[in-house]
Amino acid sequence: MNMINKKANIVLWLVLIVFLAFFPKLFGIYYTNMVVTFAIFSVFATSLNMLMGYTGLLSFGHAMFFGFGGYGTALALKHIEGIGIFPAIGFGMLAAVALALVLTPIMVRVTGTAFAMLNMAFGQLMYVLALKLYTITGGEDGIANFPIPGIFTESLRNSPEHFYYLAMMILGLCMWLMWFFTKTPFGQIQVGIRDNAKRIDYMGHKVSQSKAVIYILSAAFAGVAGSFYGLFHNMISADGSLGMGMSFTPIIMIMIGGIGSFLGPMTGVAIFQLVDELILRYTESTELVMGVILILVVMFLPMGFMGLFSMLKFKWKARSTGNAKMEKAS
Amino acid sequence: MDPTTVMYVSQGLQGLAYGMILFLIASGLNIIFGMMGILNMAHAAFFMLGAYICYQIVAMTGNFWLGFLFAPIVTAALGVLVQQLFLRKAHLLGNFGELILTMGIASVIVAAIKKFWGTQNLPLSMPDSLNGMVSVVGISYPAYRLFVIGLALVVLVLMMLLLYRTRLGKIVRAAVSDREMVNALGININLVFMFVFGGGIWLAGLAGVAIAPILTVFPGLADQVGMDAFIVVVTGGFGSLVGAFIVSIIFGLLSSYGVQFLSNFAPVLMVCFMAIVLVIRPNGLFGVKE
Repeated sequence: MNMINKKANIVLWLVLIVFLAFFPKLFGIYYTNMVVTFAIFSVFATSLNMLMGYTGLLSFGHAMFFGFGGYGTALALKHIEGIGIFPAIGFGMLAAVALALVLTPIMVRVTGTAFAMLNMAFGQLMYVLALKLYTITGGEDGIANFPIPGIFTESLRNSPEHFYYLAMMILGLCMWLMWFFTKTPFGQIQVGIRDNAKRIDYMGHKVSQSKAVIYILSAAFAGVAGSFYGLFHNMISADGSLGMGMSFTPIIMIMIGGIGSFLGPMTGVAIFQLVDELILRYTESTELVMGVILILVVMFLPMGFMGLFSMLKFKWKARSTGNAKMEKAS
Repeated sequence: MDPTTVMYVSQGLQGLAYGMILFLIASGLNIIFGMMGILNMAHAAFFMLGAYICYQIVAMTGNFWLGFLFAPIVTAALGVLVQQLFLRKAHLLGNFGELILTMGIASVIVAAIKKFWGTQNLPLSMPDSLNGMVSVVGISYPAYRLFVIGLALVVLVLMMLLLYRTRLGKIVRAAVSDREMVNALGININLVFMFVFGGGIWLAGLAGVAIAPILTVFPGLADQVGMDAFIVVVTGGFGSLVGAFIVSIIFGLLSSYGVQFLSNFAPVLMVCFMAIVLVIRPNGLFGVKE
């Protein structure tokens, strides 16, 4: 049984990779760009879920790392002559990590609402700084039309298809790393901190230090997502990347998709995008539809859509094993 | 008095009035947040709804005081309805559930407001009796703003009396610290929380009515003051009315003097203040350690 499962898994992965590889050829540029947006927000939401779902730390200011990633990459590409695409993305990630490193001594001391609001405070501070330091950040206009080098020679600016492949590779790698991380013993300690921080402390694990590590890791992945967001639009601005809405959007995505499960945030992003697309086509009141969806999810799907899936799976399994027992009995 | 002093004092009074409006919103948020533990993201939306309902009543009857009296009550009734229908169930899911639910309710309210009243600024004229200038220590100052300052003071005193001098206040405070025990003593806990939530939303509606003649009524009203009120509650300490009052005054003054002296960074003075307070005291200035 296990062997078959493993083979089926490998086949599924291969099919997915082949499908994604031929996606631009099959569906055209509009849907390809939608997949890139999906990938960017999946990494962003999953990085927040590392804090929210796995460590139980709600943050109202995760956008600052997203924005720092975007600004880091944009500034590197604008000011450093002949820099490659990978070092530029690295710059974005480093910018986010540097910010997280500065903030960790404060953040590890607090939990709950204080953690959420402190993140919001620094997020707002970064937002206003980005608006006011216009010699560096371009103020309200942001930074736009910076050069984007290709992997080999050709610029990525004019070839969305190549950009798609790059984004898929790096963002896919990020998702894999985050998934791998949750399976490590250290990742399991995070769940322990969420459920009972005191007990983890008594067991001899260092709570503050683990919180610091997860905070910095989460910031790094958010930074990569932001870096790609900037590259994708070839523009980064305070309102687009550092605003309060950017901090609340991933929280909503996680809650819709399902908190605490690894695939939850991705599901949430997909549903979010689908709803957005449908709303734009059929109605004008985005707020009403989004509000009703949020209320319905909390009332009827407390663990989000992933919770619904796992419940259905559980029921289906229970029925099939029940059938097997019946067969044996007869 | 020389003109500079006059300017400083009137600037300070301006800030004080804004601080008092912040306190009216924050006090409601504080009793819901501090006593029921609900992160009510819909509070600002109810605040705005209060302003709109007041506008509607004034538009129909032409009497500001009717709106002043009934708009907060209608808002509170809607709030209690929402609490009984949705929040009671979501409470079982913990903070994240309530957070998202109230976000959803907030955006439904905003959508409904845009549908019924449109997106333009609706003017609400002050009552004639308060539409003049009053001379305070030699400075002429709008009477309506003085009325708002007085209103906030009355609310503070009444709430302190209600919470700390009456049987009802005792029950509410007991219910906060041990819900099950109070329930076991034969007190209808659901009714108590309904009262607390209704009271909080009533205060939000009152704040909406109070601010409407100053800022006019428009759909962005909630964003403008909603987050500020939230920051006041967190900085002052959960469940502490005195904390909320003092921080409201500080924030009001910060915002009015900040625009004058540090205009570049006026929008973040409040969050900076909050950050400093939270770093030193994670439970807020007057918060009790859990």
